[in-house]
Amino acid sequence: MARRPVNPPATGWSLTIPPKIWDRLSDHVLGSAARGAVLLAGLADGPRGPRLLARELILADEGRDYIPGEFGHRALAPTFVRDAVIRARDEGLAYIAAHAHLGLDHVGFSEIDLASHERGYPSLSQISGQVVGALVITDHAAAGDLWLPDGRREELAETIIPTGNLLRLRSQPAEEGRPDSLHDRQARLLGDLGQETLRRLRVAVVGLGGVGSILVEELARLGVGELVLIDDETVEETNLPRLVASGREDIGRLKTEVAARNARRANPDVRLIEIARRVERPESLEELVRCDWIFLAADGDAARHWVNGTVQQYLVPATQVGVKVPLTPQGDVGQIHTATRLVLPGSGCLWCSRLIDPTRLAVDMHPAGERDAAQYVPGVPAPSVITLNTLAAGEAVNHFVFAVVGLHDEENDHASVIHRPRTRQRDLQEPRQDPTCRWCTSTGRLGLGRKGSTPF
Amino acid sequence: MTSPTPAIAEAVEAVRAQFAGHPVEVVPDGSGGVYVVVEQVEIGAAYVPSMTWLGFQISAAYPDADIYPHYVGPLTRTDGGAHGQAIQSVTWQDKPALQISRRSNRRDPNIDSAALKAERIRKWLADQ
Repeated sequence: MARRPVNPPATGWSLTIPPKIWDRLSDHVLGSAARGAVLLAGLADGPRGPRLLARELILADEGRDYIPGEFGHRALAPTFVRDAVIRARDEGLAYIAAHAHLGLDHVGFSEIDLASHERGYPSLSQISGQVVGALVITDHAAAGDLWLPDGRREELAETIIPTGNLLRLRSQPAEEGRPDSLHDRQARLLGDLGQETLRRLRVAVVGLGGVGSILVEELARLGVGELVLIDDETVEETNLPRLVASGREDIGRLKTEVAARNARRANPDVRLIEIARRVERPESLEELVRCDWIFLAADGDAARHWVNGTVQQYLVPATQVGVKVPLTPQGDVGQIHTATRLVLPGSGCLWCSRLIDPTRLAVDMHPAGERDAAQYVPGVPAPSVITLNTLAAGEAVNHFVFAVVGLHDEENDHASVIHRPRTRQRDLQEPRQDPTCRWCTSTGRLGLGRKGSTPF
Repeated sequence: MTSPTPAIAEAVEAVRAQFAGHPVEVVPDGSGGVYVVVEQVEIGAAYVPSMTWLGFQISAAYPDADIYPHYVGPLTRTDGGAHGQAIQSVTWQDKPALQISRRSNRRDPNIDSAALKAERIRKWLADQ
């Protein structure tokens, strides 16, 4: 298969489709028989414009729901459209009808398509009171025609599928990127458009300790355009051996300040949002839900829960990065491992993988003054070593870079990486999904966006 | 200040229904959750006093988060014995309290409500 074009993030309306929904949609409409479908989508504010968040796919059965058209070759049956648009109205979701055209890197609506939109969408918009519109796709391109409740009409700037390679489909490939002499050596691998992609991204790092400080250093030097830095802690003496570019004079300073100083040193052009708060605070979540990618480098169950919620409800992909050093009270060292877990919307989540404990989450949500006492067994500091943190952080950022510029060999490779340095093993771990999960399924909060409110 | 979510509001109403007739104080925790204190809860003749308050936090992560731990006012055992495991003296919300640490294993967020757990804790304490 030809490699998809690298399209830097575009400004304007976007549609994000979770990988599993995209696979079903593309199998259905791009298969040998031309067929139609409807996406129901939540709505959210994004870093470059409003975002539609595909939550559910309704497939049109050939012959019953997708029938010979009065004006064109095929059309969605009126009863199918009626049922779907009423569901959109009742659930407060956008209605997006999808079909496919032949072609590869370019796609657009035909005159017959546009005429049918003009005949039907004003009344569908009136019935639902929500955004209604159409999506037309090929393997490598997508175009959208949106009708807003206030009567405006917008083109979809891009369709995003956060799969192994994060796909950004446009109606036609982006024009060649401008050369960036500073990043010339890495752009030889990533391409000028890949470098431009990094420059336009808004990426969050949650937790700015041993792992997070390395992530910030690498993301800034790679040329990521905007970083959201979230951590409420201050630097302690015992942090210094692992905190990149820190010194004794930083003891007592906020970790956000130290990370921001380091990011600016690495890339004077980087835009920074510093939030010296815990991640569950509304001001943190408001920034988090408007990111393109999240790195979760904080240990607590609360951070895991709220980042997981953001991934699923707002369809923002994340990488959880951690290091585990099991140590008995007698000093026996167990199987050390680093974990780089890809958390994609709708493909299993941290709850499904049992990586969040409801009781530890309850304790973690107590105010700082009560948290230690609320633990029945008092916690002790876990071992932490910079070389192990580097291993995990490097893996995580490398996966991210390859994903956003389309360099992974396998688009459907969603596996996490578990590295065991004591035995020098490196294993891949596939995500698990509980079909009744209240976060990562269409019966849960998947793609609800701001309809599901923030905090969740 | 963040308003409690509908799930938390519903949980509080269920607590009021579970402990109908008891005063129930609800105070925002500042992060989208609430502190709940149910007054005059009967815990039986094994304790002095035999009636106390029962407090807990329903955090913003509810119903995914467990309700843990629970707190009651300072109690002594009628038989003069020590409190058993999972009970310890602490300060909670600026007042002396006993902390009761009973986690819910295999918790189902759709079933294990704050109200049912509060009643289970009251009964467990009374049975000690």
